[in-house]
Amino acid sequence: MITARIARVALATSFVCAAAQAKDTVRIAFVGPLTGGNSAIGLGGRNSADLAVRLRNADAKSKYQYELVVLDDECKPDAGVQVATKAASDRGIAAGVTHYCSVVAMATVDTYHRFGLPTIVWGAVLPDITYKNDYKEIHRVNGTMINQNDTNAKFITERGYKKFAILHDTTDYGKGHDKYFTEFVKKYGGEVVADLGVGADQQDFTAELTQIQAAKPQVLYFGGLTPIGVRIRAQMDKLGLNAQFDGTSGIVSDDFIRGLGPLAEGVLAFREGGPAEKLPGGQFFLEKYKAQNYPNPPEAYGPFAYAAAVLLMDTIEKTGPDRKKIIAELAKVKGRDSIVGTITFDDHGQNTVPAITKYVVQDGKWVLWEESEYASGKRKLAGK
Amino acid sequence: MTREGRERLAQALAIVFVAGLSLALREDDFALFLVARVLIVVIACLGLNVQFGYAGVVNFAGATFFGVGGYMAAVLSRGTGVPHLFILVAGGIAAALAGCVLILPVLRTRGHYAALVTIAFALLFRTFLEVNDSLGGPQGLKLPELRIGPWRFNEPIALGRFEASFLLNYVILALFLAALAFALVVRVDRSWIGVQLDAVRLDETSAAAFGIPIARAKITAFTLGNFLAGVAGALSAHMVGFIAPNNYSFGESLILVSILLLGGIGNPWGLPLAAAIVIVLPEQLQVIQEYRYLLYAGLVILILLFRPNGLVPRPLRRLGGA
Repeated sequence: MITARIARVALATSFVCAAAQAKDTVRIAFVGPLTGGNSAIGLGGRNSADLAVRLRNADAKSKYQYELVVLDDECKPDAGVQVATKAASDRGIAAGVTHYCSVVAMATVDTYHRFGLPTIVWGAVLPDITYKNDYKEIHRVNGTMINQNDTNAKFITERGYKKFAILHDTTDYGKGHDKYFTEFVKKYGGEVVADLGVGADQQDFTAELTQIQAAKPQVLYFGGLTPIGVRIRAQMDKLGLNAQFDGTSGIVSDDFIRGLGPLAEGVLAFREGGPAEKLPGGQFFLEKYKAQNYPNPPEAYGPFAYAAAVLLMDTIEKTGPDRKKIIAELAKVKGRDSIVGTITFDDHGQNTVPAITKYVVQDGKWVLWEESEYASGKRKLAGK
Repeated sequence: MTREGRERLAQALAIVFVAGLSLALREDDFALFLVARVLIVVIACLGLNVQFGYAGVVNFAGATFFGVGGYMAAVLSRGTGVPHLFILVAGGIAAALAGCVLILPVLRTRGHYAALVTIAFALLFRTFLEVNDSLGGPQGLKLPELRIGPWRFNEPIALGRFEASFLLNYVILALFLAALAFALVVRVDRSWIGVQLDAVRLDETSAAAFGIPIARAKITAFTLGNFLAGVAGALSAHMVGFIAPNNYSFGESLILVSILLLGGIGNPWGLPLAAAIVIVLPEQLQVIQEYRYLLYAGLVILILLFRPNGLVPRPLRRLGGA
């Protein structure tokens, strides 16, 4: 009797052990800018994807052991195609969480398609990445700049601002924002009094800002990334330009506040996706992220990289590490809960449920607009 | 064996080595991609070698001329039916012509000032691309597949039982062009043009006193160098299939110059080795992620510390035969 019980326990244990040992390793790629001007976002995304993999590996119920293959695209198309070739041509890699920079994401879609690697874009916002091709391999969890600017324009005109100056960098990112913001702000009854493009690594903006000052705008809309955003906000102050600073997802990073100090106060910005801390699992993500002691914060797009990695691993649990089956399964994603809100892919692989979060800087932190003292009327935006 | 004979043998061996390596790796797309990139960079650096190493003309806009070639290829292959083999040559010609803009300032300035002129040109080019919407602006342009006659470069190779990745096509073409460029540069060096260029680089005054036309020598070297960079750029654009101003930044020009320094300025033999180090090493260091450039830079500094004249320094020219 006892022997039988021992035998049964031993048998069960050996099964569990065998299962643990027999777990196949599945490799998934993470691609983003780890060096260069956008590395802060890239590292945040990398850490978040890494966190997703660690948590899954710690889960005894998962069928596979996952390994994250991290690659640096340097935010340059040729380097991007190079690492995309590396990841996609490696048959041992099942899928990828890919790209923050739109220009790189655009350059690499053909490579992923050629090798049939299913990918989920975690940060690039150019609409063309999903909509200008019919590649079944390409998906995107974050919304595009179209949704973001619609919300932004509506919000800012509702606050009673009428005259807008637009300053954007001349990359695809800045130009796209310029195009869509102009479109929407006019629709909501705003007037664009100045619209200027600046270089993505420009240092001095005195000429542009002086020109803008002469047009007397109430709001300065900035379409671009953190590094020049910091310079522009600082130089506005030097010139005494007192317009409300209204930014895009490109400045929602802790570096923006660190670079400006008290000058960042009252700056507005918008980001695709729900606020992580308000969504199911978001608080969990932030806590776990903190517990891992990563040297860099997750930044604005970390939750997307995390959500993309989780979605991929969920899919692989169902289909196994077979690229074709993963693609077929991803096409069926509808109403899936994630830490960035509900994910539903349309037939271009684009997430069509883009929640947009409004942020304002308050006391050195990006605070949700709804919770800020600006919304409650305790503090006032510029010129109000 | 004469020196010439030895060099020929070494050249043949180098070609056989690369060809053998590529055949061995024929199924490995990524390795082939790297081999092709190294070969393309070697072509561009051979051009810079003529400028820096032979004529002493500094050019910190290598990536710019590379980019002119790439954009020329993009515009021609997207908008016209020009045969693609000619497009590669056209890329070179466009780069050579773009270089003509700089000839006057380059001839009139020396040393640091000449460097500044080329740097200014590189910045100008990038800004020009970024604001120019017909060239794709900052978002760049997509290129169609490269085709030479019935040879389609983006199709995998299948000859009977022999199968290989589509990238082997690009490796074959790049190897062919690199061998051609190498032979050209070595022959220029060995000819009377090379002797003239040496004289101009080492002492302009005495060169002039011997009746060497300094301006002509410099223009020849500058134009030939830009031509090679342009051809390499056109091939690279087709292989990557996408070009954007980000690829042709000043930083990329510095990388080309650093390959030249690492290889040994004025000696084309060091270039393949240096190019392989500069391209493959950061790639192999991907595992250490954001720290890779730190380690890579450290290694390059160490190499230059112990071999200040580069990995394969230029030997002294011996006039009068073997």
